[in-house]
Amino acid sequence: MTSETAMNFPLLSLLLWLPLGGVLLCLIFRKSVESCRLLALATNLLVLAIGLGIAFTADAGSGGWLIYEDYSWIEQFGIHYTLGMDGLSLLLVLLTAFLQVIAVLISWRIDYHPVFFFSLILMLGTAFIGVFLALDLILFYLFWELMLIPMFALIGIWGLERRVYAAVKFFLFTLSGSLLMLLAMIGLYLLHGEQTGVYTFALESLKQTELSLTQELIFYLCFMAAFAVKVPLFPFHAWLPDAHQQAPGAGSVDLAGLLLKTGVYGIIRFAFPLFPRAAEMSLPVLAILALFGLFYAAAVAYQQPDIKRLVAYSSVSHLGFVVLGLAAWNQTAWEGSMLLMINHGVTSAAMFVMLALVRQRTGSNEISKLGGLWQSQPNLSAFFLLFSFASLGLPGLANFAGEILILVGTFASKPLWASIAVVGVLMAAIYMLRLVQSVIWGPCCEPFEKQDLVTREWLVLIPLALLVIWLGCYPQPLLDPIREPVTLLLQQGGLP
Amino acid sequence: MSLLELQALLPQLLMVLGGTAILIVGAWVRSRRSWLLLGMFLALVAALLAGTLEPPVAEVAGMFSTSLYARFCTIAWSLVIAATLLLSCRYAELHRYGGGEYTSLLLFAGTGMSLMSAATSFLGLFLSLEAFTLVLYILIAFNRVDNLGAEAGLKYLVFGAVATGFIAFGIALIYSATGTLHISEALSGLPLDDGLRPLGLAGWALLLVAIGFKISLVPFHFWTPDVYQGAPAPIGGVMATAAKGAVLTAFLPLLSSLGGAAVEIKQVLWLLAIVTMLVGTFSALTQRNLKRMLAYSSVTHMGYLLIVLLIGGADGAQSMLFYLVVYSFATFGAFGVVTSWAEQNEEIQDYDDLCGLGYLHPRRSSALALFLLSLAGIPPLAGFFGKFGIFHAALQHGYLDLAVIGVLASLISLYYYLRPIIVLFMQEKKAHRLRSGSGEEFVLLGACCAAILFLGVYPGPLLDLLRQILF
Repeated sequence: MTSETAMNFPLLSLLLWLPLGGVLLCLIFRKSVESCRLLALATNLLVLAIGLGIAFTADAGSGGWLIYEDYSWIEQFGIHYTLGMDGLSLLLVLLTAFLQVIAVLISWRIDYHPVFFFSLILMLGTAFIGVFLALDLILFYLFWELMLIPMFALIGIWGLERRVYAAVKFFLFTLSGSLLMLLAMIGLYLLHGEQTGVYTFALESLKQTELSLTQELIFYLCFMAAFAVKVPLFPFHAWLPDAHQQAPGAGSVDLAGLLLKTGVYGIIRFAFPLFPRAAEMSLPVLAILALFGLFYAAAVAYQQPDIKRLVAYSSVSHLGFVVLGLAAWNQTAWEGSMLLMINHGVTSAAMFVMLALVRQRTGSNEISKLGGLWQSQPNLSAFFLLFSFASLGLPGLANFAGEILILVGTFASKPLWASIAVVGVLMAAIYMLRLVQSVIWGPCCEPFEKQDLVTREWLVLIPLALLVIWLGCYPQPLLDPIREPVTLLLQQGGLP
Repeated sequence: MSLLELQALLPQLLMVLGGTAILIVGAWVRSRRSWLLLGMFLALVAALLAGTLEPPVAEVAGMFSTSLYARFCTIAWSLVIAATLLLSCRYAELHRYGGGEYTSLLLFAGTGMSLMSAATSFLGLFLSLEAFTLVLYILIAFNRVDNLGAEAGLKYLVFGAVATGFIAFGIALIYSATGTLHISEALSGLPLDDGLRPLGLAGWALLLVAIGFKISLVPFHFWTPDVYQGAPAPIGGVMATAAKGAVLTAFLPLLSSLGGAAVEIKQVLWLLAIVTMLVGTFSALTQRNLKRMLAYSSVTHMGYLLIVLLIGGADGAQSMLFYLVVYSFATFGAFGVVTSWAEQNEEIQDYDDLCGLGYLHPRRSSALALFLLSLAGIPPLAGFFGKFGIFHAALQHGYLDLAVIGVLASLISLYYYLRPIIVLFMQEKKAHRLRSGSGEEFVLLGACCAAILFLGVYPGPLLDLLRQILF
């Protein structure tokens, strides 16, 4: 298959709308829980298969987009339906599909309105894929907001005691950023229209807009308001621990694995290329916030009495690392950031899967009530150990490869930042080891359920474990598709 | 009035004559359901006539225009009336309404609204406004045994009477300043530097106060929550959508072609828009009753609409009409859900009574959630493109301040729109099972949902249509 056949057949649209089609089918078969479960699983597997198909067939070295679709949508406002996939989007789409499969599998036995639950998970899939593929600002915004409703419902309906508080906090935090972004989008669109006479929301055209530095800074800040909340960059992270703590297992997997990535993706795909000068000016600020967040979140994580909050803060810390790599602004650091983004997607999802399994068995998230899991559940605990080590950045496991690239790249341009960040790696070890120590070792608290892993759980954990090891030992297959887009994005920034 | 002019008024005549006939015959034939359905049929035919018949004259009796714009409004309000009649089928049965009276009153209201949007003379404006407001006084208090309804009717009557006074006096002042009752002549006739200018401006100010009462702008909004709460839910739907829409569409041509008074009036509108958006939003936050919340939400939405009313011109008018359509679908749908949940003696509208209802009545609850999210402007629902159009127009015409306040208001508004959704789906089940919905209600709610989803993902055709009818 060449890119030519892909041009004719709207493959990206298929990929994008497949999960939503699954939602419709779920609504049709709403009487049968079993079929909805299978449907959700099958849909996501199909998306994964198509994504892998694209990965193996599409020509990655062509420089531009692997696949590109463009239709006029709302002519009055110059809004197009433009989807494009480069190596970076491809990896994120694959990550989405993979984690969605995991999310469905770990919620297999959910008993509170399962059909509704699986529909929402599927809907989230369309939203994530849309965010990673859209190249028209309004289309992007549409998918960006589409993420909110299902996530809000997942937290608010299937969450723990303080679920409503967490869900509303999540919604308000993220929406306040995005509305500013919407205003900036319209402003940019109008300025572009006045200059060229062509009113369009296409990303490629809007990059050419001539802006004064003040305008650029204002727009950039508005865009960053939306993205920084999602990343979440310190000090906009307050919603994340609450959301994670209350969310059901699958919700946490999607939150940590995918939702946070949309923020980083937005920064590199939209905020930086659209406003390169403002971006350049903001780099030191970004770096300081990222470094501060890295340490702050690590310190707070260490103090958490709740294991889900602990892992949530570890996400903030890791994402601080990612942003630091972006702020270093060179090829190596960016590749590292992208790699860490994918790796963190896998490891944090794996961690939340573990936490969900632990909760299923012990009925608690609190460190004080946990301990000694190894004695009754050796298999589960072994996986727990593996994923914790991956998360703290042990060489040979997933996160390490990304972190080391970021450190190397950052050291090349900003030795001081890199030196400080190295200490951050150590911090990760401290809080992760505390987690491991208090959950699987220590005095045994009698677990409620004796059973170790069942087949379905093995099915979830083995792919995750393989992936974690593979990404740690041999990340090259991921770096290849990233290289080209990163180079292009860096060039568009126009910085040395 | 010539025969040709009558022919141009055929849709309105059909409704008003049909309404009269139903009123008379209905006194003998007490068949509730068939009268309602017949009324719905008449309203639909009126809409069809307005859509297909090319009117032979441009203006009727110097008072009503037959432009595409006026015909569009006629179609819109007839459809709202038809929808209300269909929606009321079971509601009227439940409350033992007189079918003939109810149907004919709604048809009269529809006629008044469609004439109001078509008015080209202050006289026509006044007459048609009074025609449908009078009908609404009765309809609000239609449930004789309901004290809240009587209170609401009285409240609306008092406020409405004051507004009538203002509007009449305003028209008189404008007339004395310009010497004409024809709106476009009066607009261009207002002298820029003349002793009569203050008189004309005073007239405009009084007129604005009256509009403020009718579409409940802050600080003239105090009646709104009480009246919406007390009025029967289907009538609440009409009041929040068509009645407000008729007033707005009547004043849209006025304000977009403001002659000598533009600067002063725009300043007032600017202030009113800000106050309305903010006060409406903050008042809605504390409501624990669905209908009262919808009332304050409609106040806030009128604030958004004021932004585009103030901008005027092609951009403003297009965004305003689009927003109005989208807002009407969602608000009418929300009132439709309340109608459908109504019990014999009361309407279920307090949040405490709604706890956990989402799983007892999933279809209607999801529909309500959809309507509320559309009102909040969450994509991919139609409300998003409505708001998008308004902010777009505001930024394009340099009203950054209004756009920012609008964004702020819609952010805060999210909280009160989410609250019913939280109550329905995320709280412990306390509610008891209500009546299952009737077929008509599901058809209507389904249509509203479909419209909201369709306009949310593909607003192009409606936008094109609106641009066509405007210019």
